Amino acid sequence: MFEIDMMFAFALFSLGLYGVSSRKDFLRIFFSLEILINSVILMLALSAHFLGLAQNIPLAYLIMVLATLEAATGTLIFVGANKFTKATNPDQLDRESYDE
Amino acid sequence: MDIVFLVITLLFAVASLEFKNSISAIISFALMMLTLGVYYLYLNEQLLGLFQIFVYTGGVAVLILLGMAIIGTDSKPSPNRLWAAFGAFAIFVLLVTFFYLHVKDIVYLANTHKPSNLLFSRYYSDFTIILALIGSSLLYATVKMIKVLKPKRRKDV
Repeated sequence: MFEIDMMFAFALFSLGLYGVSSRKDFLRIFFSLEILINSVILMLALSAHFLGLAQNIPLAYLIMVLATLEAATGTLIFVGANKFTKATNPDQLDRESYDE
Repeated sequence: MDIVFLVITLLFAVASLEFKNSISAIISFALMMLTLGVYYLYLNEQLLGLFQIFVYTGGVAVLILLGMAIIGTDSKPSPNRLWAAFGAFAIFVLLVTFFYLHVKDIVYLANTHKPSNLLFSRYYSDFTIILALIGSSLLYATVKMIKVLKPKRRKDV
């Protein structure tokens, strides 16, 4: 069971990588990052449950707190960048054209 | 039962990336996080599951909705990049191959070498201080970034 569940965690990780490298708008890149982080948390929880590595759970909390901070900061950066440049994807964040 | 939860999670994850409508994507994302939280509860990791549900399904999803309300929901469709799909699949295959080659060693090491739990119990306050420092520096950086952007805007106006 551990092996099959870990395969799903790997699939989530690959899906997150695919999203980060293929999507162009802020929202999808942000989702992909969260999927990447959650796949790692899932791996930690699975190893804690199936292998008895209980010390992985505090590590999962630590990652979750950092991911929450990243979510808050990322949203602020997206909103701030959109407010001043009207960009909805990172390719539009061109300060040179904005300064003209 | 494990597989059902994880298949639903994976489907919601794919839907959150593939839906054209941003609101549907956010709802799929929140449902994915909810399913993961319920799965943690099913694994008897109650605190982790509740944390996942409250923080991700509640906090982060609402935060993203707020951001989308300010930015707007229109977004250009992303091109399908074959190299990205191929790269992600290659990494998946590599991870699975590596895992299946070494799963016996991983289980053996987990059973024989139990690392100490003292790291997080003894140094709990240190970790809290480090997290607070990281959080405050991130917030400071965000505020600073907005201040850097602001004068340029005023100059243009």
